[in-house]
Amino acid sequence: MATIVSVDEFITDEWYPGFKPAFEHAPYYVEPFRTFNKEDEKRFWFLDFHWPRGLTPLGLIWNEDGYNWGTQYAAENLPLPPGRGLTNRIAGIHLYGSPLDVQSPYEIGERAQRMGPRLGEFLANFEEIWASRRDEVERGWQHFVSMDTSAMSLPELSMMLKEARAYHKRAFEIHFEIMYPLLVNYLGFYGMCAEMGLDVSQIGKFLQGYDTKIMETDRELWKLTRAAKQAGLAETFATTDAADLAATLDAMGGAGAAWMTQFRDFLQVYGYRTEGSCDVALPSWIEDPTPALGTIKSFIAKEEEHDFERALAGAIEEREAAIDAARSQLTAEEQAAFDGGVASCQAANFPWWQDDHNYYIDLKVSLPLRWAARAIAEKTGADQPDDGLFLFWPELTAVADGEKSMDSYKSLIKARHDYFDHWHERRSSMPKVLGTIPEAVTDPVLIEIFGLNQHFLNAIQAAGTDSDVKTLTGVPASKGKARGRARVFNNADNLHTLEPGDILVCESTSPNWTPAFAKIAACVCDSGGMLSHAAIVGREYGVPTVTAVGLATVVIDDGDEVEVDGTTGTVTVFKQS
Amino acid sequence: MSEDATQPMILWIDDVDPQQALVLTGAKMGRLAEMSRDGLNIPLAFAITTSGFSRHVQAMGLADVIDERLQGLTAEDSIAVEAAAEAIRQAFRETEMDPDLAAQIEEAYDELSDRCSDLNVPVAVRSSATGEDSSDASFAGIFDTYLGVSGAQRTIEAVRNCWASLFTTRAVDYRLRRGISYTAMPMAVGVVELVHARASGVAFSAHPVTGKTDRIVLEANWGWGEAVVQGLVTPDHVEVGKADGRILKHDVSRKDIVSAFDFAAGAVVEIPMPMRLRERACLDEEQIGAIVQAVLAIEERYGYPVDVEWVVSRHRRAGEPVSIVQSRPVTTEIQQPARVAYDPMALAQKFIFAGGAPR
Repeated sequence: MATIVSVDEFITDEWYPGFKPAFEHAPYYVEPFRTFNKEDEKRFWFLDFHWPRGLTPLGLIWNEDGYNWGTQYAAENLPLPPGRGLTNRIAGIHLYGSPLDVQSPYEIGERAQRMGPRLGEFLANFEEIWASRRDEVERGWQHFVSMDTSAMSLPELSMMLKEARAYHKRAFEIHFEIMYPLLVNYLGFYGMCAEMGLDVSQIGKFLQGYDTKIMETDRELWKLTRAAKQAGLAETFATTDAADLAATLDAMGGAGAAWMTQFRDFLQVYGYRTEGSCDVALPSWIEDPTPALGTIKSFIAKEEEHDFERALAGAIEEREAAIDAARSQLTAEEQAAFDGGVASCQAANFPWWQDDHNYYIDLKVSLPLRWAARAIAEKTGADQPDDGLFLFWPELTAVADGEKSMDSYKSLIKARHDYFDHWHERRSSMPKVLGTIPEAVTDPVLIEIFGLNQHFLNAIQAAGTDSDVKTLTGVPASKGKARGRARVFNNADNLHTLEPGDILVCESTSPNWTPAFAKIAACVCDSGGMLSHAAIVGREYGVPTVTAVGLATVVIDDGDEVEVDGTTGTVTVFKQS
Repeated sequence: MSEDATQPMILWIDDVDPQQALVLTGAKMGRLAEMSRDGLNIPLAFAITTSGFSRHVQAMGLADVIDERLQGLTAEDSIAVEAAAEAIRQAFRETEMDPDLAAQIEEAYDELSDRCSDLNVPVAVRSSATGEDSSDASFAGIFDTYLGVSGAQRTIEAVRNCWASLFTTRAVDYRLRRGISYTAMPMAVGVVELVHARASGVAFSAHPVTGKTDRIVLEANWGWGEAVVQGLVTPDHVEVGKADGRILKHDVSRKDIVSAFDFAAGAVVEIPMPMRLRERACLDEEQIGAIVQAVLAIEERYGYPVDVEWVVSRHRRAGEPVSIVQSRPVTTEIQQPARVAYDPMALAQKFIFAGGAPR
């Protein structure tokens, strides 16, 4: 009873007006980036949250380099046992992603064999590996940041554009080569903690209190805030729009201009940063400092200064307390595994990296492409520099190489601007998912970054069938999972009406209910514990059982579809409306 | 029927060869005898052996009633099976106790009262089935138990009711389907001093769901353990690490029902829990330690994980052992040695790549 959301509306060969890609015009590792066709309906697609504005034609190179090259390259090389990375499709200017599942159990098994030692090696050497990759990205960065596009010829700009593309593509190889194993370790640790009965909401705390480049940037912004107050600029900040601050302060001369010098020094170090992920259409703080000045403006408006030292010390204290509290609930044997997991996840720290890497990769590596594209547009007589962002890669390189004139694209660029605006308006009504909703998702990026966990899948399954989902919890009394029709009984009188595969829902059971366990697929009780009758008989008969659910007989109606997980103690109710 | 006149009809649990007790009084009472011999704190008890059962059935004409009622019966005819089972049970309930046996039970009961320094001491009268099939999961909790029986005559009545429970419709149906005679699983009955329970419950020497052997799991309620065993109450839940005896978890639940002694009815009955006790922990650390100590000793004695029913007596003082009223092997699949090293690949396989990640 798979739920299917039609892709019909988005089936087209054209990416934007006037562009149908040539065969293999862009790099990919397993499957290329393209538009939807009817076959795609058999797969599962989710609306990607990274680009709420939508993407311009040149912006789509991220999807080529990031998803269809980067994730696929990283997943194939780890290799990730059940998946080959992500692929995506364009609907208007919006992106839908999908996992590339490995189907064959034989292949999955072999890939796991290969991954085991690789994962161990990666985790043991994470610090070194990330340092060397970060150095590589920084070396490339120095190459581009030293270029003065205004002084470059068109052939030089063409070369820069191609180098910037290679750099971009390599940056996302690195991104996912690091992200996959880090996430695998983190989610495995998370699963272990959940299985040990620890409060999973505390897991983030075990790994907090480590400084990142993003936090360092925030500290510098606070320093500038302090300097602005000391220079008597608080009033100017309070009364000036963020967008006008730079001009106003420069025009003030004296304290204002002096502060702007200090701010520009800051930008040279921290300002090569966009206000969104991975999009050539976004300017850096250097190009447009409004976001950074707006942040300082809001900091000045705050009464109290943020105490980074104290916050960090507090985070560390909280981390150690959370770890101690968790350990106290574990047996000596479990503590050994838990300690190993905490040490591993702190050394190869996914939540930390998830913040830190943005400074080096996501907020930065599209900038050289942006500079080259805009410089080429200017050099070739475009109406505005951003027109370069409305050409597709083969079109822009043709212009850069002198094979086509910018003029020849003018009307198309106009049409594409309109197309962008049209689809930009439609963003809020784009379906969250398309195609066939799966039973489970195994790609760690989908689970953690996109939140496509079991709960989400259950919710969209239910949304597709017009019903309502409720999750109840109780004591996990007999392990295993089963799904079926709920039969609610207040007494044993009508037990004989149970059909094989039904799910028994009752207040509690007593010995005369025992025969029912030979028939039912699962049992849910309002009361009881792990050692009550239903629990014992459930285990003896291998029937998943959850006890002490409280209001099961009230919330669940006869005939509701119910999924019982006797290992976690959860009961998911799919109400029939 | 293999009535062996040389076998005793009554055996005292604290004064019997445990091997003989297992054969003549069934696993439930036999294990109490074993634990008693090992010095565990077992309530005083005697048992009416299978010889007593056979003697009664033969001498009082019940064997003929049973044979007659079961004659030509097939499991497929469920209505006839139910009628026959009901008729046999009624015959058991209405047939006077064999006078010889009745005299012996009366004598034993009075001795039990004397040993407990009581008159008409309240007892638990427990069915203790014998024979290979009696350990089958199908019989979990199916035979009767009467808690709080007081006086010799009432005890004798409860013994007859326990015998009758060998002929519930399910038990008869089961034996018909398997082609075995009731004589292959005769019923012994234990008469056990009723410990005045402050709190009672069950304990597993392995996690009953995950099968992990690194901990002891307790479930507890105020009063007697029936409300816990039957699942009528959500009990307090305690987990204790075996290696160091540390309390890992102590979830105090809201306990709405208590199994309490009703003097008028002469029985333990389920009544609403007094408000002041509902959300109070029914065990303290010292009591938990004493239960754990007993459970570990029992597990060590048998060499496999056990499921134990325990009682903390009203008269127990700190440092004294708790009472053990029942013990049996755990039926959960045991997970042998707990994972020690952190293994990220194994965890990934289990929690991510198999689908259904718990996020």
